Amino acid sequence: MSFQSFHFTFAEVAPTFNEILDFLKSSDLEDEHPAVVFIRDILSELNFDAGISGGYILKRIESLNVKKGIIKIENQELNLGRQVCGYIKEATQIALFLCTAGEDFTRMTNQLNEQGDIMEAYILDAIGSLTVEKAMDRIQESLKNEFGGKGFKISNRYSPGYCNWSLSDQKALFHLIGENQTGITLSDSCLMTPRKSVSGIIGIGEHLKHHEYGCVICNNSTCIYRKILHE
Amino acid sequence: MNQELLEKLSECVEFGKINLASPYPPQMKGLPGADEITKEALEAGVTPTEILNDALITAMNKVGQKFSENKIFVPQMLLSAKAMSASMMHLKPFFANGSVKRKGTFILGTVYGDLHDIGKNLFGMMVEGAGWEVIDLGIDVKIEKFVEAVLQNPHAVVGISALLTTTMVHMKPVIDAIRIAVPETKIIVGGAPLSAEFASSIGADGYGKNPQEGIMWLDKISA
Repeated sequence: MSFQSFHFTFAEVAPTFNEILDFLKSSDLEDEHPAVVFIRDILSELNFDAGISGGYILKRIESLNVKKGIIKIENQELNLGRQVCGYIKEATQIALFLCTAGEDFTRMTNQLNEQGDIMEAYILDAIGSLTVEKAMDRIQESLKNEFGGKGFKISNRYSPGYCNWSLSDQKALFHLIGENQTGITLSDSCLMTPRKSVSGIIGIGEHLKHHEYGCVICNNSTCIYRKILHE
Repeated sequence: MNQELLEKLSECVEFGKINLASPYPPQMKGLPGADEITKEALEAGVTPTEILNDALITAMNKVGQKFSENKIFVPQMLLSAKAMSASMMHLKPFFANGSVKRKGTFILGTVYGDLHDIGKNLFGMMVEGAGWEVIDLGIDVKIEKFVEAVLQNPHAVVGISALLTTTMVHMKPVIDAIRIAVPETKIIVGGAPLSAEFASSIGADGYGKNPQEGIMWLDKISA
């Protein structure tokens, strides 16, 4: 099966004003606070439609070893770690995904930082993070609809760098995903360009059990998945 | 008069009043901000050191304290940092010509494999406001880059940041390499997934749970 591509306009996947304030823990700020003013203004101005894209490719899981934290796909190993392997242990298929909010967010964030508008840059960066997650929500929803009708369940999404899945596994993940239209590339340090991009896996299986994210055992208070859990 | 200017400046930084044109906070609308008050203070004969110690550091300490108590969050803190920067612009020539002595040099970077920079940037601004020269190496900083910076600034203190459980493990190799290059280098680490125990286990000298703790540690070692 080939990579299933999705494209979105910013309006389709934009976080709401309140979602941004919640994310910034700033719901209590006065209406005239510059952060609130900036969010209101930028939401009506942003037109980053070109680069918001993502998708997934489905693969059959050849073997899954929770104890070793490894799954095998097309004779290649992914070292998900025990935690993530445990979450998807009943999966028989896996969706390998990529999604990006595009280069425009990084370009404009850098520009704001350079001119000393550090608060505005921080807020735009947060909007970029929320945008890519919302785009990925739409992709995950599509996957859920596709497989739900066939009696399958899907897992949460998991990404290298989180839930003890090593970031270095990005290389194997990208290799398995292969050709795609997102334009996301990987650096030597396994970081993605554009910066506002996500990658990872979603488990699929008839008998898959739902697991919450393991935030209770993780100290990372700023993790995007913790935010998702709390919403 | 001078004391009044310093208090006004401190208030501007604490509440994020950048300059005359800044409409926030509403009760200070139409009044001079950190930019204009710093200029006025210097013209009135207030020394740059007094501005730094009695206005900027005082204000940023209050901001840091409120942040560590969850009374304010990152946007408010960044607004204060922006006001502080507006003031610091007037002090830079005095730092450059040596008439204001820095507490030291602080080299800062996010460890390789990690692109998170908000905490690092925030801490860097706080450290600068506390009277240090800050060399920000950026994000995804390789071991070699840290070592090179330490060799060029052998008396500098180093701060290493990481925001992921999977990248905080990259901190120890950085610390080990710095210790080989300049063994007496003091190193502080910080970032959401870290703990004091972890910092100690990888050989760091200090751990900053929040910017305020980091500043206190720096003050202690520079005393």
